[in-house]
Amino acid sequence: MKSLWRGAAGLLAATAGQFLLVRYLPALGRSVDLFTVLVIFYAVTRRRIGVMMMGTAAGLTEDLLTHTFLGMNAFKKTLVGYLMGTLGSFFMLSQPIPRFGVLIVATFLEAVTEAVLVLVLGQHLVLPNSSDLLWLGLGNGIAGILGYWLISKMVD
Amino acid sequence: MNKSLPERRPFLLLVLLLSSLLVLMSSQVRTGRGTSLLEDSLLNVTGPLVRGVSGSAGSMAGLWTSYVDLRGVRAQNLELRYRLGRLEEQGREGEEFRRENLRLRELLDLKRAQEFPSLAAEVLALGSVGQSRTALIGRGTRDGVRRDMPVVNRHGVVGRVIAVGERVAKVQLLIDPNSGVAGIFQRTRGQGMVVGMGDRGCRMEYVSELENVEVGDVVVTSGLDQIYPKGLTIGVVMSVEEGDQLTKNIMIRPEVDFRRLEEVLVRLNPETEGPQREVSP
Repeated sequence: MKSLWRGAAGLLAATAGQFLLVRYLPALGRSVDLFTVLVIFYAVTRRRIGVMMMGTAAGLTEDLLTHTFLGMNAFKKTLVGYLMGTLGSFFMLSQPIPRFGVLIVATFLEAVTEAVLVLVLGQHLVLPNSSDLLWLGLGNGIAGILGYWLISKMVD
Repeated sequence: MNKSLPERRPFLLLVLLLSSLLVLMSSQVRTGRGTSLLEDSLLNVTGPLVRGVSGSAGSMAGLWTSYVDLRGVRAQNLELRYRLGRLEEQGREGEEFRRENLRLRELLDLKRAQEFPSLAAEVLALGSVGQSRTALIGRGTRDGVRRDMPVVNRHGVVGRVIAVGERVAKVQLLIDPNSGVAGIFQRTRGQGMVVGMGDRGCRMEYVSELENVEVGDVVVTSGLDQIYPKGLTIGVVMSVEEGDQLTKNIMIRPEVDFRRLEEVLVRLNPETEGPQREVSP
């Protein structure tokens, strides 16, 4: 129950942070996806079931905020969270550098998953700009390292 | 290596979540036909299933119907067999009537062609004792039949009446050894006496060895015996051999098939006494 409240609090914080970024720092808001950061944090620190639940919840919240297909971000984040969680069970991802790499990989995986989903759903595919994608990966990586450091300090 | 259910739980949950999300997305995507992708997918997935189930249900219903139908089939089969038997019997009777009708028509034609009045009679029985050949016909004195009246059919001479009852008469057939008919060759007009020889046919006697007779010559009645009128067909010359007393041995094959006699005509003499019902000129 405690973890549920923690998860809800984390989701609320990510939603609020993303909303504020998009509202007041749009350029930075396009380069950071705090929902992905939150899901990957769960992936490297929690069990896979928790990761998937967080991925679904965070994705649905993002879908509601961005008015895309309801379920698109949830699908991406659930799948990527699961894969990254599986990866975390094989490798040590507790250090900042590996986590940075995982966040970049997760960002790219989300983009690929979205492209596949768009094709599966029979929609017109528009590939994301590679530089935008790169900036998003870097932004997520940096935001992740900062966020995880902040959280570790709060826990300590 | 097989994993236990708790180990598989995350993966199963992943599949469940992703499937649910996929369904959620599909329900929002519209296809060109105006239906959602979910509806289309469901239709494509469930269509064959529903068709299969429907087909199976139809087959089961068909089986049940067949079973129910089979319950009545035995009784129906018996009834149909009975009816088929009756129809076959009727068919045979019909065929018999048809053949009889043909024979009677031929007899009627012959009757019309006769110069003298005649009387149609049914052959009731054929007698065969030793070489003797007789027939019993269904006409007697009350029909005007008298002794020595000639009996014919459309092929030619059958015989003559030798005994008469009130309703039946006995006919001595042409092939009876005691039968004798005055004959004449149609081609050469040579005369002789045709005598019966049982199943072997007839023999023509008293024909001079000088007579020009050939196989195939037709022999008809000459009328000299005062019984048969002149010109009735007796038969065809089957063989001609030299005899030992200045005569020829001539074998004749009768035109009438004596094994298949069913209806005949009794030729009535104009001076016949008694009733002459069904007599036509």
